[in-house]
Amino acid sequence: MRNKIVFYLNGNRKEVGAREASMMFAEYLRYDQGLTGTKIVCAEGDCGACSVLRYFPHVKGTDTNNYLPINSCITLVAQLDGSSIVTVDALKKNNELHETQKAMVECHGSQCGFCTPGFVMAITGMVEEKLAKKDFKIDEQEAKNCMTGNLCRCTGYQPIVNAAMSIDLEKCEGLKERFYSERQEVELTKIFSESVLLESDEFFYFAPKTLKEALNYLKDFPDTKIVASATDLGVVHNKRKAHLTRLLSLHLVSELYKVEISETEVKLGARVTHTEFRHSMKDKLPEFANYLDIFASPQIKNIGTVIGNIANASPVGDTPPAFLALDATVNVVGPKGEREIPISKFFLAYRKTALEHGEIITTVKFKLPSKNSSIKFYKNSNRKDLDISAVNLAIRVEWKDESKKEIQDIMIAAGGVAATPLRLIQTETALKINFDIEAAVTTLHSEFTPLSDVRATSAYRHVLVENFFRRFFAEVGGVQ
Amino acid sequence: MSLPHDYAHTHVCGESEFVDDRPIMKNELFCDIFFSSRAHALIKHVDFTEALKMPGVVEIFTGRDFHDNMWGTIFRDQPLLAIDKVNYAGEGIAIVVAETLEAAQRAKHKIIIEYTDLEAVLSIQDAKKKGSFIMESRKIERGDVDEQLKAAPHTIEGSIIMQGHDHFYLESQVSIAYPLEDGQIEVHSSSQHPTETQHVVAHALGLSAKDVVCQVKRMGGGFGGKESQAAPFAAMAALAAMKLKRPVRICLTKDDDMIMTGKRNPFENEYKVGFDKDGRILAMDLKLFSDAGAYADLSTSIMERAMLHSDNSYFIPHMRVVGQVCKTNHHSHTAFRGFGGPKGVATAEKIIEEIAHYLKKDAVEIRKLNLYSEMGGRNLTHYGQLVKNNCLERLVTELESKCDYKKRRMEIIQHNKENKESIRGISLTTVKFGISFTTRFLNQGNAMVIIHNDGSLQIATGATEMGQGVNARISEMVTGELGLPRDAARVMPTRTDKNANTSPTAASSGTDINGAAALLATRKIKKRLSELALKLLDIPKEKWASKTAGLGTQPEVELSDPYLNENDPNAGTDWESGIATYFDIHFKDGSVFHPEHLDKKIEFKYLILEAYLNRVSLSDYAFYKIPGIEFNKLTGQGDAFLYFTNGAACSEVNINRDTGEIKVLRTDILMDLGRSVNEDLDLGQISGAFIQGMGWVTTENLFYNDQGLLLSHAPSTYKIPNVQDVPREFNIELLENDENYANVRGTKAVGEPPLLLAISVWTAVNHALTFLPRYQAEFPSVRIPATSENVLRAMIPERFKAWE
Repeated sequence: MRNKIVFYLNGNRKEVGAREASMMFAEYLRYDQGLTGTKIVCAEGDCGACSVLRYFPHVKGTDTNNYLPINSCITLVAQLDGSSIVTVDALKKNNELHETQKAMVECHGSQCGFCTPGFVMAITGMVEEKLAKKDFKIDEQEAKNCMTGNLCRCTGYQPIVNAAMSIDLEKCEGLKERFYSERQEVELTKIFSESVLLESDEFFYFAPKTLKEALNYLKDFPDTKIVASATDLGVVHNKRKAHLTRLLSLHLVSELYKVEISETEVKLGARVTHTEFRHSMKDKLPEFANYLDIFASPQIKNIGTVIGNIANASPVGDTPPAFLALDATVNVVGPKGEREIPISKFFLAYRKTALEHGEIITTVKFKLPSKNSSIKFYKNSNRKDLDISAVNLAIRVEWKDESKKEIQDIMIAAGGVAATPLRLIQTETALKINFDIEAAVTTLHSEFTPLSDVRATSAYRHVLVENFFRRFFAEVGGVQ
Repeated sequence: MSLPHDYAHTHVCGESEFVDDRPIMKNELFCDIFFSSRAHALIKHVDFTEALKMPGVVEIFTGRDFHDNMWGTIFRDQPLLAIDKVNYAGEGIAIVVAETLEAAQRAKHKIIIEYTDLEAVLSIQDAKKKGSFIMESRKIERGDVDEQLKAAPHTIEGSIIMQGHDHFYLESQVSIAYPLEDGQIEVHSSSQHPTETQHVVAHALGLSAKDVVCQVKRMGGGFGGKESQAAPFAAMAALAAMKLKRPVRICLTKDDDMIMTGKRNPFENEYKVGFDKDGRILAMDLKLFSDAGAYADLSTSIMERAMLHSDNSYFIPHMRVVGQVCKTNHHSHTAFRGFGGPKGVATAEKIIEEIAHYLKKDAVEIRKLNLYSEMGGRNLTHYGQLVKNNCLERLVTELESKCDYKKRRMEIIQHNKENKESIRGISLTTVKFGISFTTRFLNQGNAMVIIHNDGSLQIATGATEMGQGVNARISEMVTGELGLPRDAARVMPTRTDKNANTSPTAASSGTDINGAAALLATRKIKKRLSELALKLLDIPKEKWASKTAGLGTQPEVELSDPYLNENDPNAGTDWESGIATYFDIHFKDGSVFHPEHLDKKIEFKYLILEAYLNRVSLSDYAFYKIPGIEFNKLTGQGDAFLYFTNGAACSEVNINRDTGEIKVLRTDILMDLGRSVNEDLDLGQISGAFIQGMGWVTTENLFYNDQGLLLSHAPSTYKIPNVQDVPREFNIELLENDENYANVRGTKAVGEPPLLLAISVWTAVNHALTFLPRYQAEFPSVRIPATSENVLRAMIPERFKAWE
């Protein structure tokens, strides 16, 4: 059993105990390590000023086997156990600017300089990905996509986009060559074989090697919070709405990193990130991959887990409606053994799920839609990218045959219209009985009573759900 | 290619130091501010007992602990911390000081408070009803508006609602106060106005100005939000530092910053306009109402600028504009890039679009017809200032052809006939932005230039650097004047012990005022160096001071006239280069020479050494005041501005018919910035200001609860534009204009004006909506911001009504 968190920071080994492990990484960098290059602005993962690059060598995914940008303001130091981190402070080599930095200077990508370190790291993350793929050209859309998680208030972005596109990738040296060594690999592999237990007066943290140990811990300490990536818990903590005092992390449980895809079925482990999931869905279910593109930021997706998004049970979470429409199954393990929960029975009330005390979600699985099906996910938010949804609507129709005229089965789910992600079962039934969209619209509205809040009024939510519903049938065809 | 920002190379490494990056001192303390959750209430009871018991808490201070609890830039009407009564949700009540920030934050939640609610005013409409105003209304009037409106062939009446706008500087309000010996305080603040910060701290603590130094190295963005409102936070840190004799840091979280600090003033304007059949405006009657929030702050000045910009670029022969500032129970609104200008200009541009719609004409034709013009006596503003160096028509005509406006407008008409998924709109708007503070005494600045005896320079001015590149421009002007590369000089942090009685870096005037002062200071030295160089030409090199001064074997070089007294930064300059020459001595490429003695070039560094050894002063200080500002606020007449910065923009938008979502497909901008000191820095100001303005008119939605407490107080709920929101095609060009004789080196200020060009996005949204059957006669009335919900609501109001 280890009682230290081990990670590498700019090539240097760091071994920390409970005090440091309980800090947000950005705070640790700035106020403990004196590395003030990394900035804190929003403390909620929405501005990217705190971006650092993290390589996590224990998952060799295709798109994720690199240094990836993450938000250090909502990442506990404890979560970086087994990682290799690079911050902006170390990017310059022997007084020579990194190519990203040079480009930012030359293209006037920096004005006040406060968001700049975050942009530099986000862009460098893309540079790393490109180098790994031996793709030496950055187009405008790629440049924009890599900085979707970063806000700038001075430049209007165009100079930063120009900077990213002007980087000469042929001249770039990969960060692994500079900051990751075989010795690190050996060391990080070694430490990964041992469970971690940290304890202080204020902070308790357990990361077991097996689910069995995890279940025992939950039994012994019922007030434990399971932390996946803290992209939500970290925010709650920073805003002083809760105090993270006792955490359980499953990052050492290797089996939870698995993505199993067969011809007909997809099964995701609890530690699978959105980035990894998107990569898996690109060909198998492009609609989901595209939907993930307007979901959160690269920084969040690089660390946030798909199952975390389900377990969080937010009424405005982006993936739950999609999983509801896919009729996914949530697999859990608990003191009484394993059980399967259909996702339609998973969300019980506001932020309350069917998980019983001491249970852990291990995987989520769903069947890939058949050839004779249509599936669409819609999202509306005040801003198109990196915004929490006002309304989501996910619809999947299994048609009787290729002519797509008669409905065999249909699943409709909405987000942002009730206290939980909501299956619209009466509308489904109505359509199955009589494929009459006008009649179904009336049923549709009767199934939810949305709130008015900071994101949208109730009326707007009604109108949006109806418009998305109509758009679905306009897009996929069908009788009308 | 222009030179980069002077600290870009450290920004990209995270090495540039911001206030909160300063190393934490061993005994340093941290603060959090406890604020009101009520709009308007008496404080019945406040109990700190539990909070004081929290681990790490050192002390809690209230307004009673200040020597003088009142502050305010124009009127001293605002308490630093509310004592008996709160006037807005977010108003500070107490400062919790603790060993760590987290301890202060957690303790804050333990403070118990009871209020007795009073009736609150939370909208302009409500304020109008209750007569809740700040100062009396003001009026600017020309001609006979009532008669001319009656006589006009066509009239339109309408209104426009504009919501507020958060600055969203990335670096929140932050200050560190260090107590020094003998009761002095040194404050490091993220402030656009170090002088005011110094004065507010001094008043609040009962110190004299000599005992307070404020230093501003740089800001992580300001945009007007740190013009007046940085000062109170500095005063709070200073109070705790003085009382506890320990360094104290206040660094607001983004949430608290957004809740506590003021925004761009919301406006609700009413208009009546008369025009002829061609669309020529004959008369206009405007009533502007702004929401100041709870205290005056800068709102009366902001209103004045709105009134002075309600004509925008258009000649309105008979015009009356009345402005009334309303007092409400919102956070105290403040300066924001544009300072009232956008609210006047948006009104004028809406009126133009509406006239075009009414007459079924192209709005660009209406604009051209009404532009200020040197022909036919149509070049005098409603406040009696002549529009000199008028290039408005050139801007509109050139932009119209550059962006293919006519063709694209036809394509849009076609698109809107055929496409079921989206509607499109296009609009070309203009801006004529007056440069200068309308309050004359603010148009002054001072600068100090030091040449060290190795030939390197330090410059100190009252300008503050917030990303806009004022320091880069100033050092480029100064080193350019001396024929040196820019990196020969460093612009030092702004400090009130070097540059006192300065004005805020605001009103786009930073480079105009401080650059001119720095140039004047440089020329004082340059004149002395020139005479010295001339005299050295006649002295054999072996007799120069560098060879002889140690032994004192040669007489010292005497200068005949070592002084220069000049207020005009263009005096004695060659207009083409902008460089002044004395004694026919030229400074170029690190050398100094007389054109007739090119064989006797003196290296600049060597000349500096000679100057030192000959006891010629190598430092100087200069003062600059902008000439010709003669605006009488009581009559509303006079030359309010030194000159105008002009521009035009054309934006095309696509609106999703299902959701109301807006995508800006293309924006083309053409601006007249005179002669740029640094073109790329100017282009960066344009793209940045435009996108910031685009946020104001589209996605940035301030959402309050029924107590006026801001709920959209973080980027998760308050959506500033993201990189994906940048227009798909975004072209920016500058108009050639070498004739801005009024300003230093023929440059023009750039900070604010391009923000107003984003109004083209909003008018394009309106244009798109006019294609809907419901808007064949009526003009749409989408407020600013045109959020997707506001837009969809305007498209299908009856569908919304069904659910309300």
